[in-house]
Amino acid sequence: MAEKVLTQHFGLKNVYQIDEYIKQGGYEAVKKALKLKPEEILEEMKKANLRGRGGAGFPAGVKWGFVPKVDKPKYLCVNADEGEPGTFKDRYIMSHNPHMLLEGIIITSYCVGIHSAYIYIRGEYEAVALRLEEAISEAYDKGYLGKNILNSGFDLDVSVHRGAGAYICGEETALLESLEGKRGNPRLKPPFPASVGLFQCPTVINNVETLSNIPQIILNGADWFTGKGLPKDGGTRIFGVSGMVEKPGIYELPIGTNLKDIINKHAGGMKQGKKLKAVIPGGMSAPVLKADEIDIPMDFDSLVNAESMLGSAAIIVIDTGTSMLDVLKAVTKFYSHESCGLCTPCRIGTSWINKIVKRMAEGKGSKKDIDDIVRLASNILGKTLCPLGDAAAMPILSIAKKFRKELESRL
Amino acid sequence: MVKIHIDKKPIDVEEGTTVLKAAETAGISIPHLCYHDAFPPEGSCRMCLVEIEGLPKLELACSTQVRDGMKVFTKSEKVVEARKGVLEFLLAEHPLDCPICDKAGDCKLQDYYDEYGLFESQFRESKEKREKKDKIGKSLIHDEERCILCRRCVRFLREITETQELGVFERGIHSRVNIYDLTPVDNNYSGNLAQICPVGAITDEDFRFKTRSWFLKKGESICPLCSRGCSITIEYHPGFSHFGVPSRVYRIQSRENQEVNGFWICDMGRYGYSYLSENRLDKIVINNKEWNIQPTWEDVSYFINQQLKKLDEGKKTSQTVLILNTWLSNEELFLIHKIFKNDQNLERIFFADRPQAEKDDFLLTAERTPNKKGALEMGFDMKPANPGALSDKTDLLLAFGSFLAEQISAADLKKALEKIETKVLFTSHENELNSLFDIVLPTALIPEKGGSLTNIDGKIQKFSPVFEPPGDSLPEWMMLADLGRKFGINSSFYGEFKTPETIAKEIENEVPFFREQK
Repeated sequence: MAEKVLTQHFGLKNVYQIDEYIKQGGYEAVKKALKLKPEEILEEMKKANLRGRGGAGFPAGVKWGFVPKVDKPKYLCVNADEGEPGTFKDRYIMSHNPHMLLEGIIITSYCVGIHSAYIYIRGEYEAVALRLEEAISEAYDKGYLGKNILNSGFDLDVSVHRGAGAYICGEETALLESLEGKRGNPRLKPPFPASVGLFQCPTVINNVETLSNIPQIILNGADWFTGKGLPKDGGTRIFGVSGMVEKPGIYELPIGTNLKDIINKHAGGMKQGKKLKAVIPGGMSAPVLKADEIDIPMDFDSLVNAESMLGSAAIIVIDTGTSMLDVLKAVTKFYSHESCGLCTPCRIGTSWINKIVKRMAEGKGSKKDIDDIVRLASNILGKTLCPLGDAAAMPILSIAKKFRKELESRL
Repeated sequence: MVKIHIDKKPIDVEEGTTVLKAAETAGISIPHLCYHDAFPPEGSCRMCLVEIEGLPKLELACSTQVRDGMKVFTKSEKVVEARKGVLEFLLAEHPLDCPICDKAGDCKLQDYYDEYGLFESQFRESKEKREKKDKIGKSLIHDEERCILCRRCVRFLREITETQELGVFERGIHSRVNIYDLTPVDNNYSGNLAQICPVGAITDEDFRFKTRSWFLKKGESICPLCSRGCSITIEYHPGFSHFGVPSRVYRIQSRENQEVNGFWICDMGRYGYSYLSENRLDKIVINNKEWNIQPTWEDVSYFINQQLKKLDEGKKTSQTVLILNTWLSNEELFLIHKIFKNDQNLERIFFADRPQAEKDDFLLTAERTPNKKGALEMGFDMKPANPGALSDKTDLLLAFGSFLAEQISAADLKKALEKIETKVLFTSHENELNSLFDIVLPTALIPEKGGSLTNIDGKIQKFSPVFEPPGDSLPEWMMLADLGRKFGINSSFYGEFKTPETIAKEIENEVPFFREQK
């Protein structure tokens, strides 16, 4: 099995506590980074081409490079609002190895010149939030956080902010609004958060998994990192496998690992007696793949070529005993419930589609309803204020297209 | 300046202009609901999506800034389809109550459907049930079913009045605009909400169900209720003269004027229009028994002329007293100054105006004197009228307006006026005060005549007649020009003043302030 980066300490006793973490070589990356110049770290990060693990896959080094050099406070917001259905990787990182995330936060902040970082964690992760708070307090005690960290002259404060249960707050600008104490609605972009973010100041927003990769990149170098996974898409991903497999769970594997192998080898194959029908490869908003489409490397570009997306690398395995109409119903119900209501197509479109699908599930549908769903989802796709509209439209369109016959058979 | 093309039309615009505004300058209108010039782009209605060459997705016209060489398409198939799509969404949950909706006729949703939609509804589901008649402010009714969530109202209260009475509650399809904890919208600018609502979600009880917008005629005017001089639009029904139904003002709306009031007016100015039609004087009233005919202005002006001449011959000009007010236009005050101060050397000229009252920190001024600045610049010292100075050795009193009654108690006024031999009042309204005068002449109000006012900041604002004055009422400038011709020193001079514009020109010749302001 390939060398692990993010989950290397998983399974060790008490590694979530700072003493044990240090015993395992923890905080060496911070020590090394604080002796480097911020520009050197940025250079290394750009070389590593660490692509965002939240879903969009934007390279972290490039994102940091967008932060303007202005005389204003800068902020780091850690997106721990893991809300994409099927996704549960960040939860494991934060609860098993919170200090690795903190190391990533410290290095990022030092590199960009940030002195305040916020971890925006979904409200449902109460226990995880408590663990993070404990870890932060340990880090303060040991001098890894606070004033003059390790006598480097660098100051950093980190605090945890719990969300109130809205999916939309995982969208980075809605997250900022929520963090500012406002209603969680996305902002119009541009301006992008790198220049106008939290409290109108330059802000870096990165996902938990993205930041957790940074300590190992600092310790081992960009070449080591790009050597894992693919040249343009380096490192590993934590694949969260759920659904009808023998061993659902998280699997850290190099980027580009074949989806078929993840399901059949790592996750133990289909549950006994079950037959594969479809896979959602990157969280619920990723377009569905049919059973004959799963021989595919799990990286950003391969999945885009297959008209789907890697997203949060959450793999949902669906068997032949599951009705695609029920899947569609779950999808439309979720997005109509979670639409923030700010822009027209998402607010009314997701609700309208949900109403149609609900009626279809009651056996009162017609072929025209499927046409309507496709038409309405197409009118959402690419026309909303934030990516949630696309996130809703993509799975709906793919299910309606790839499983039309099955849907028609349920009318 | 950058060069762009919109629908293949080349346009030069300032850098930083949005596509929406650039298109406007080229006469191309891009539909939009949430965007309003007063606020930064919101980008939520998605009506203004346009195609920009080289970009994969449609972009918002309201927020996208122009770049040199940009090619924008506002009528391409992709754009038209997207617009239809947004309209279909908006109309899916919109009630079909246009026949009883106040906004019908000037509703943007209606207009856009007419222009870009005209499709049959495909919505087979049941619409969300929401509050239809929610009282959210002193005269505001909110219909949640009609609301399209453009949030103009929310942003107005957040960014303009900073009172923040409205917010968005719930999420997704259940999103609704409402007040917090039953605390109503309560500020002096609340009426603007009904005006900026692009649909009929917020309606005004003052207007609700009283008429239809297409019956109304509109005229531009200036609000005279304080010293700000906000630009307004008066909406009125011209009446049915055939059936004896008089003209009636139904509402006043704010009119954009970036130098004075931006996009807004206060509630006092918006709702205080009853004076335009109520208790109007429309005939010359004679309270002097010696007159046994119903006189015309010709008769009265001849009479005033005789009185003045009689006094003038006796070199007793000090025995004529004038009471003015600041509802008189620059033109009227100029004529008065010319005739009575320059020609007649009159000393006792007083002003009787509305007293100062509460101001706010936005548009409403404490002074309720729409042309005070003009009067001062014209050379009046604006002494307030008092009973003693008024009646002392006075033979002829010429008073303008009825504000005297607000300055001096009825009893004092009666006593003071009793001593004066001839009293003439120029006024627009029926008033207790009128009975104390021998002759009462009906006059026109601001929307019924032409002229200009000088606001508190010294801005000279022209206004034109919106509708006719009632009955025999005449604009004061007309009567004054006539008096000037009859007993001024140079009657051909006054003979030139056939319009307010000709007077304004002469003001510029003679009064430096007005020349410089131009």
